[in-house]
Amino acid sequence: MNTSVGRLLRAELKLMLRDPLVLTFVFVFPVVTMLIIGGSFGTKPQASFADVNPAHWYVASYLTVVIAATGLVMLPVHLASYRERGVLRRFAAAGFPRWSFALAQLVVGLAAVGAASAVELGVAGLVYGVPALHESWRVALGIGLGAVAFVSIGVVLGTVLPSARAAQAVGLILFFPSFLLGSGGPPPKALPQAMRSVANLLPLTQVTDAIRDPWLGLGPASTSLIVVAVLAVAGTALAARRAAL
Amino acid sequence: MVDGLDLDVLEGEVVGLIGANGAGKTTTVECIQGLRRPDAGTLRVLGLDPVTEAERLRPLIGSQLQDSALPDRLRVAEAVELFTPRGVAGGRELLEQFGLAEQRRSPFASLSGGERQRLFLVLALLGRPRLVILDELTQGLDPSARRNVWAAVSQLREDGTTVLLVTHELDDAEALCDRVVAMRAGRILDSGPPAALVDRHARRATVRFGLEDVAASAALLDELRDVVGVERVEHAAGRATVYGDRRAIAHVGAALVRTCSVPADLSVQIPSLEDALLGLLDGAEACRPSDADESNLIGALR
Repeated sequence: MNTSVGRLLRAELKLMLRDPLVLTFVFVFPVVTMLIIGGSFGTKPQASFADVNPAHWYVASYLTVVIAATGLVMLPVHLASYRERGVLRRFAAAGFPRWSFALAQLVVGLAAVGAASAVELGVAGLVYGVPALHESWRVALGIGLGAVAFVSIGVVLGTVLPSARAAQAVGLILFFPSFLLGSGGPPPKALPQAMRSVANLLPLTQVTDAIRDPWLGLGPASTSLIVVAVLAVAGTALAARRAAL
Repeated sequence: MVDGLDLDVLEGEVVGLIGANGAGKTTTVECIQGLRRPDAGTLRVLGLDPVTEAERLRPLIGSQLQDSALPDRLRVAEAVELFTPRGVAGGRELLEQFGLAEQRRSPFASLSGGERQRLFLVLALLGRPRLVILDELTQGLDPSARRNVWAAVSQLREDGTTVLLVTHELDDAEALCDRVVAMRAGRILDSGPPAALVDRHARRATVRFGLEDVAASAALLDELRDVVGVERVEHAAGRATVYGDRRAIAHVGAALVRTCSVPADLSVQIPSLEDALLGLLDGAEACRPSDADESNLIGALR
């Protein structure tokens, strides 16, 4: 694979694995928080967790923490840093096709999500066990579309924010409310109504619902899946346009 | 901003773009590389339109861009691999030529300023491009590294590669360029071989020396006034200053030898391209229309 796109992809994948921000925030943070939160509520089914094992609730929820960390923190910082330092101009001047960088980021983002999710499920399997998939195709669709949507959002943020520091600040501001209200925090039933309304507006909540509900047999979450699909299509179109060299 | 720029670069030429900050040099090369779209005008690079035919043109151009880095954790050998077009070899040889073979496994962040510039030059030369654009190439280099870069650019000229050099370092332009183009506020002020610009715009050459034997001095100074190229001779506080064109330096030296008056403290100041550019910029400043004049002009055009 010695085309310019292949070379760019290879270099970007290597760089991702050398980035301490990626290793800590995308690979380590979700696992550590899943172990802490998942272990806090025991394994006995509870009403506030829709009568399922709380540990399994969090195992099924935490894939979206990986997705959000990749899309809201890793990619915006990476891209903004490239823009700030003129790396993208160098790629453009060197004759890399206009679409190649956007494609490389999409693949790198999805690879990060895939690898970090595998690590997380491996640890969850050892500690809490991985809950059985009730509707596997819906779960797979939710993970795939959710990952594409957030990777695209990350690429767009990285092309809009002026510097790596700004991207880090904005990324963290977007990440933590999404993480606490839409994925890794208290279950929706434990939230006050106002907070629940806010949570429902967050894209990450929709992705989490589209994955967790069919995984644990809580319902198809078709509306959430449609919202995520729209986000993925719109986000990809915008990201491809914004990240063209 | 670039305004009404008319620039031809012939194949095999080494042409320098010089000028003050904000002269439009980098904007010009960005348009040539297709990184920026001109608002108006015609631009052809190697017969191609840099905007609509960018994908055909860019492999033919090697670029060293100002203020453009590489990812911190990318290693030198990986950068060469990344930027080497398919089916092209020679990256290893270029790394050796520019003294970077030892740094093959070093990440970009660990390289010194000089090593980074040399790496950028290696990347610009991968694939033997027909046109090489070097923007502030020797910025931050030590004298030795700078000479290595000069040797590399001279080699490019011998190989017949066209080089467009954008620089603030006028020594670079004087040493390397067949022709320089002086710009200010997006327009060309003058262009030509460096020596021609120096002749046209620099202050005169000067030769200074002490006069020990005052009695003999008057005759000597009279003789120097008639030397070819000398414009003026001044005498003050026991020292003579001879003003003239560059030819005058040799003729004054010959006259001093002929009259057995070789002074021990002779010093020569040769006008440089920097003097020429300063002269050009001063002249342009003096000729610049006032704001009121510009308003009138714009009003008239409307």
